[in-house]
Amino acid sequence: MKIKKAALGWRILRDLLLIAGLILILCPLYLVVINSFKSLEEAGKNFFALPSSFYLENFKNLFTGNNYWGYVKNSFIISVVSICLILLLVPSVSYAIARNYNRKYYKGVYFYLLMGLFIPSQVIMLPVTKLMTNLNLLNRQGLIMLYAAFSLTQGVFLFVNYIRGLPFEVEESAYIDGCNVFQSYVKIVLPLVKPMIATILIMDLLWIWNDFMLPLLILNRSRDIWTLPLFQYNFKTEYSFDYTMAFTAYLMSMLPMLIVYCLGQKNIIKGLTAGSVKG
Amino acid sequence: MNNRKLNNRLIYLGFTIIPVALYTFFYVFSVIRGVGYSFTDWDGLSRDYHLIGLKNYISLFKNPNFWNSLKTTVLYSIMLVISVVVLSLLLALSLNSLKRFKTFVKSIFFVPAMIGGITIALIWNQLFYRVVPLIGQALNIEWLSQSVLMRGVTALPAVVFVNVWQAVAMPTVIFIAGLQQIPDEQYESAMMDGATTFQRFRYITFPYLVPTITVNLVLTIKQGFTSFDFPFALTGGGPVRATEVIGILIYNDAFENMRFSMANAEACVLFVIVAIFSLTQLKLTSKGGVRE
Repeated sequence: MKIKKAALGWRILRDLLLIAGLILILCPLYLVVINSFKSLEEAGKNFFALPSSFYLENFKNLFTGNNYWGYVKNSFIISVVSICLILLLVPSVSYAIARNYNRKYYKGVYFYLLMGLFIPSQVIMLPVTKLMTNLNLLNRQGLIMLYAAFSLTQGVFLFVNYIRGLPFEVEESAYIDGCNVFQSYVKIVLPLVKPMIATILIMDLLWIWNDFMLPLLILNRSRDIWTLPLFQYNFKTEYSFDYTMAFTAYLMSMLPMLIVYCLGQKNIIKGLTAGSVKG
Repeated sequence: MNNRKLNNRLIYLGFTIIPVALYTFFYVFSVIRGVGYSFTDWDGLSRDYHLIGLKNYISLFKNPNFWNSLKTTVLYSIMLVISVVVLSLLLALSLNSLKRFKTFVKSIFFVPAMIGGITIALIWNQLFYRVVPLIGQALNIEWLSQSVLMRGVTALPAVVFVNVWQAVAMPTVIFIAGLQQIPDEQYESAMMDGATTFQRFRYITFPYLVPTITVNLVLTIKQGFTSFDFPFALTGGGPVRATEVIGILIYNDAFENMRFSMANAEACVLFVIVAIFSLTQLKLTSKGGVRE
């Protein structure tokens, strides 16, 4: 009986914690959503109430006056091209390393690529900005190359460990049947590493789509090539007084990722967990 | 036969060439150049500059702003790590024991991980300005009645709070994954022996979770030491350098104050600190716990 009472106490405590957490997470999002549909005047009168009418001026303003779709396009292009490049490079180099792990060169390449684990982004941020300026690469192409280069460390770390855990027999029999390394990579290894590909895809998509520091350094000079995070940051300085407009911009910047999340939340959580437990 | 072997070797070699080239050119080369700049007097723009040896480092260690920023960074990281690890562990235990709505509640708790740091910072910036003071006034709490970002004492905890708001999500799901690896029989036999909830946590859950705790600790410590987005968008380092973590100091020195080579020296100091942490991380994680 005594244990049951204690258990009930724990349960109440637990539910209180969870409810407090839910409120803390949902309240800000709720305020962002409702205030996007208000005029500045109405929000000033009552910040917390539901909007009295469906006020769409903010959205109209965002879509027509502010090149919102242009920034979505930039974010989209940069994310998609970077990730294609990453998925082209990371699994193949990891495969080469994992299957030649006893050779000096490949082991050397592995540890060389892992050095990045020790280097904080702040060390890179200044010299890379100078480098890209000198190369005339302060543009989307330059940023994409940086993402590809900077994603290697973590990607290779995850993939090499994963591939080394795979059985070698299937590949071996493929060699006997006359496949070369490239064929067995495409036909046998790639299908086997699908879970890891999903993990890298999700991790890097989230990183690149939401990244702020690199776009700030590389793209800030010309507003035609801003990504969504840069747009929001610069929006703050331009629209500091018009905060319902700002909320609309934040809402529309979160939305793409939240839609992706709604569609595949189970896989997203699973993929990210797999990535960080090993990484 | 030999021909084929050679062919295969070339394919393997080919797989490594582009990644190694990209990484060397953009990453390693940059790091080396950054370290190099820290020994010069370059302002970042002028045509020529000179080697000045360790002068930047010497004046750096005499600079109170640098020490202040190191202190702020350490404080920031400690607050972040303690809040994130404790909260995520509590949340994971709570979520894991839920019978109904488990997946649904968990998926809401994970939403902040989907949103970019900059968006979250800008939203909270507005809330700190418009909503939080109202709560402070209603509850008659003096320090909450004005914008917490405007005052030196409250600005840093406020920035950390926003960072925590986002950073709790990931460790929570990692903890849940760790909890699910604990075999049920352990709990069943403990229940038979009449162990209390706390005892079960202390003697079963906790030992199993040690490796997971290490992972989360390391992830969060690194986040703390390299924090940039949240202080940048919330306070820009102010008021009066109260939230000037080292990432902000480096950025401001390089691009606002025209002390480019000095900023590189600051970055190198951070580099050493992070490297030490990463080495300890490798040591710790390679020891492992119950898992493996």
